[in-house]
Amino acid sequence: MPVKLLFDSATWLVWLAPFAGILAAGVTKRQDPRIEGDRVLRHDTAAIVEHWTHGIATAVLLVSGITLGVLFVPALVGGGQPVWVAMNIHFVAVVVFLFGTFYYGANTVLALKRLREHLPTSDALTYTKRHYGLLLGFKKFTMPPERKYFESEKMAFILAAVATITIIVTGLLKVAAHGINVPAGLMTVVTPVHDVATLVMLAFILPHILFAAVLPGSGPILRSMFTGHVSLEYAKHEHAGWVAELEQVDASADRSTGDSDDDQAVATNKNAA
Amino acid sequence: MTGKAKTDSPGSSGPTVGGTLSRREFVTGLGGVGIGAVLGGMFLGTVLLPDKVFAIQASSGYLLVDTKKCAGCQSCMMACSLTHHGETNQSLSRIQITQDPFAKFPDDIEIAQCRQCAYPSCVAACPTGAMHADPKTGVRTVDESKCIGCERCVNACPFTPSRALWNFEEKHAQKCDLCEGAKFWDEVGGPEGKRACEEVCPMGAIKFTKDLPQQSATGYETDLRTGTAWDTLGFGGALKSGGHLG
Repeated sequence: MPVKLLFDSATWLVWLAPFAGILAAGVTKRQDPRIEGDRVLRHDTAAIVEHWTHGIATAVLLVSGITLGVLFVPALVGGGQPVWVAMNIHFVAVVVFLFGTFYYGANTVLALKRLREHLPTSDALTYTKRHYGLLLGFKKFTMPPERKYFESEKMAFILAAVATITIIVTGLLKVAAHGINVPAGLMTVVTPVHDVATLVMLAFILPHILFAAVLPGSGPILRSMFTGHVSLEYAKHEHAGWVAELEQVDASADRSTGDSDDDQAVATNKNAA
Repeated sequence: MTGKAKTDSPGSSGPTVGGTLSRREFVTGLGGVGIGAVLGGMFLGTVLLPDKVFAIQASSGYLLVDTKKCAGCQSCMMACSLTHHGETNQSLSRIQITQDPFAKFPDDIEIAQCRQCAYPSCVAACPTGAMHADPKTGVRTVDESKCIGCERCVNACPFTPSRALWNFEEKHAQKCDLCEGAKFWDEVGGPEGKRACEEVCPMGAIKFTKDLPQQSATGYETDLRTGTAWDTLGFGGALKSGGHLG
């Protein structure tokens, strides 16, 4: 008895997942980064959920997708079971990936500053050169005052965003082919584009894992993806520009709180009079 | 550094869309409506729509084989691969000759050709419509660009070896199309043309018919010997020889 193909029997989950992500974003209470004593809140719970749903699903999609590609190679096919298992794993990851990505997308629409902080600035090339020059031991470089994300990360974000959008559009067309008659000419383009976007995503995720989880010194940033916090000392060293921004926000918040306290005092005096 | 908690509350109105609807309300509504639409569509599809009916036109032609005439030369396999793929590769042939050196005649050779089934399990199993009946000829064939490589058709074929095959070079399913898609052949293929395997078979063990052959549980009941020299050898005819399923 053949294993059920979830892409066939549970296609509706693929269409449901994006809307679930959007709805979840609509009811999510976000927290902005802030300095809390000797530590800094870098990622709120929503950011952690976005990152791990998207990230883990991407990794599983890459492994199951590449496995499928390998399974297609042998001349002597079996009963099809390994292909179906790989496709079903791919399906589960697709649902999680769509939820996580649309959750991020909708959260970004709700606060466009989160998109802006991911976009490269005119400092991108200079800062990247100084940052990696420092890492590679060029003494003449000093750590640039990076903001929340390194400029190099921001450039990688563009790559990941383009790959993600391409994978989703082409992937949804491939899923749609299970229900409607997608023109053969379109499918001829969709499949290789999906494959190439996969390679682009692979080119993003491997260095990302290397820099953020494997290399010595990546501990604080990896831990922050679970706890949400980095130490103030780390933030000042690696993201001086960001800490300066947070301090500025704090200072202006203090001023506005002070103003409102004064206003309240005046009002109280008037009432007393 | 007092660490005042700033939150982007779901209750806050935020920027407005069209003056009356906040962006957050719009996003939340979009998510809710989308989920409702998907679940509602699923419910309506399950409850209101009738069950799917699988109806498919008959093929306008069939390959008949008589393995008692087959010498096992595999010329048909080479011709099939050559006319469809431009190379002689037994693994790319849509007709397969299997031989069992331990079996006795006539069970030592089998010609495994697609029977263009009236109820094609391969077409029914295909999730994307890649495996389909040609609208003009009814020949069961593969739209290669739509194939997702799930191998359902390979598994679904009730015969062994499966008549739906895996093209390991181009990564898609393929099967006998009666040479409709034999792009490396300068003859017109298909039910109205010629079939490469039939043309090259030196033993006349493969013939084409437009009539739906008489079929048993295991295949067509085929006799291509009666009226030929095989009669004089004592192998002519289904009744005398016990017949053969091709």
